[in-house]
Amino acid sequence: MKISVNTEIALTYLSTRKKQTLVASLGVMFGISMFIFMQSLMKGTNDYFEKMSFTNTPHIRLYSENKVADAHMLNSFLNDPSVKILTNPKQLKQTEGLTNPYGLIQQILKNKEVAAVTPQVTASVLYTSGSVQLTGNVAGVNIVEEDKMFDVQGNMVAGDFRDLNRVNSSILIGKGIADKLSLHVGDNITVTSASGNPTILRVIGIFATTIKQVDETKSYANISQAQNLLGKDRSYVTDIKINLRDYNNAPQVARELETITGYKAEDWVKANEQLKAAFKIRAIILNSVIGVLLLVAGFGIYNILNMTIYEKIKEIAILKAQGFSGPAVTSIFLQQAIYIGLMGGVVGVIVGFLITYGVSRVYIGAGTLKYLPMSFYTPHYIEAICFGVLTTIAAGFFPARKASRVDPVSIIRG
Amino acid sequence: MADTALKATNITKFFHDPVDMPVLKGISIEVKKGEFISIVGKSGCGKSTLLYVLSTMDTDYEGKLEINGELATGKTLNSLAALRNASIGFVFQFHYLLPDFTCLKNVMIPALKLGKYSYKEVEERAWEKLKMFGVEEQAKKRANKLSGGQQQRVAIARALINDPAIIMCDEPTGNLDSKNTNIVFDLFQKLSKEFNQTIITVTHDEDFAKRSDRIIEMADGEIRSHGH
Repeated sequence: MKISVNTEIALTYLSTRKKQTLVASLGVMFGISMFIFMQSLMKGTNDYFEKMSFTNTPHIRLYSENKVADAHMLNSFLNDPSVKILTNPKQLKQTEGLTNPYGLIQQILKNKEVAAVTPQVTASVLYTSGSVQLTGNVAGVNIVEEDKMFDVQGNMVAGDFRDLNRVNSSILIGKGIADKLSLHVGDNITVTSASGNPTILRVIGIFATTIKQVDETKSYANISQAQNLLGKDRSYVTDIKINLRDYNNAPQVARELETITGYKAEDWVKANEQLKAAFKIRAIILNSVIGVLLLVAGFGIYNILNMTIYEKIKEIAILKAQGFSGPAVTSIFLQQAIYIGLMGGVVGVIVGFLITYGVSRVYIGAGTLKYLPMSFYTPHYIEAICFGVLTTIAAGFFPARKASRVDPVSIIRG
Repeated sequence: MADTALKATNITKFFHDPVDMPVLKGISIEVKKGEFISIVGKSGCGKSTLLYVLSTMDTDYEGKLEINGELATGKTLNSLAALRNASIGFVFQFHYLLPDFTCLKNVMIPALKLGKYSYKEVEERAWEKLKMFGVEEQAKKRANKLSGGQQQRVAIARALINDPAIIMCDEPTGNLDSKNTNIVFDLFQKLSKEFNQTIITVTHDEDFAKRSDRIIEMADGEIRSHGH
């Protein structure tokens, strides 16, 4: 390959000043590797918490919500030109549960985004064992579908969750309930709902999520069992849980489902607003740290190039006398910045990967989190190189422009 | 006029700092191809200023400048750079080689910039020039490892690499001892006589000036004698 004179001069300047080139590249390298490390840590953590939130939240939950009274009916009843306004409107109780839930499910399945749909009956209950009582709620579900959506198996600490379908009058309880009521697999527990009779159920399994509050209140039962507890019929369903192919589309799909079904559809983003806030805060912290790092690296390059230009001002004048135009001189110095950026960038990517890998092997053992969640996400590496090169170009631009404006006459005449 | 290498008409230039002061007052000169011209005069008479105007590097003047029949006045800085690259060679008082490069590279750079010949050909031509001036043994050395006289010879080789229409020299021997001055002068004479090379030098050195084809004398921003 034939390289241009400008490139040749740029490379010669870099190679005759190895130490400074090295220092400048090291600056870029640190910036880039930290960029990758922090991005990987953030994405890893975010992914982890997102995944965690999906162990007990569906992408979209469809349920019936009480509505605030409005003057709509009154206005149409009175049929006069005035408009009535309700002061102090109250919540109107809607029919409990969803009407025709299985028809709704068929409708929801028509949406191409939807991957899985399962109905659920939620019942607030009292758990009783001996003389001790605990409040909590039973989720009446099809446990096999529930497992597909939320990985029940992964949380099991005792028993087999499939027994929920095989054993009559059975229940799967959280570890917190089991501990508080000293229950083991095979023991009996009395469950009472507000509207039904006390029912004795057999514990067929115990699960533990990482969320203490869930473990101390939640239990799973067969959907018909939950309907029995509430004294309701087979068509009584309180929630429909929907998982999508891509959970990022949840807010939009939720709105579509709301218009189709007329029920409230809550997406996971709304259900986990604190999670989103945490993501945002982390992103701000991280981006400011990265910004500072790149800024420092950029200043390093700026300084070194500026010094080079002062040192080489006579040579620049000579080059210009010999017919190097302003843009050619800019190119010589900008190229130096770019090569420094590329060198630092490539090494930085490797070092960044190694740091990320190293940290992902560090055992921290907090709760179910054994190792720091790190993500190895290729776009981070591409972004890092782009940012690195952009920074160096920005840092190199001003010195290079200064070099291009050197007036050869004043320098040569002294 | 095919045999005119450089023609300047009514060149006027002011220094603006600290007050407007004329340095060149309506200077006209014409240089024929193959002429070896010395511009002499006392310090501050404007002879170097004139050279830099003629060299196209200084564009802050009034008047008209033609190089090789081509009007240089009013051209953009970038096209002037290209013009210098192709048509003008420079030799300065302080050799001004690029110290990070070998002598050979120093000679090659203007030709590589011109891009008329391939890298191989440029390298051969550079060798030839260095040989012509007897510094081919230093070719692979870094420029800052050479003696002053050797550096000046490399600089002259560099000035010649693109076969320029004109070589311009600012005190080419000002920094050299008499032995090296003679070597450099002989080189210029040889270039002028054998290769029909146009040379314009600004010099303090009277012996040097006397041996050139024509002496232009300057005083107070004006030409006293064209030496015809």
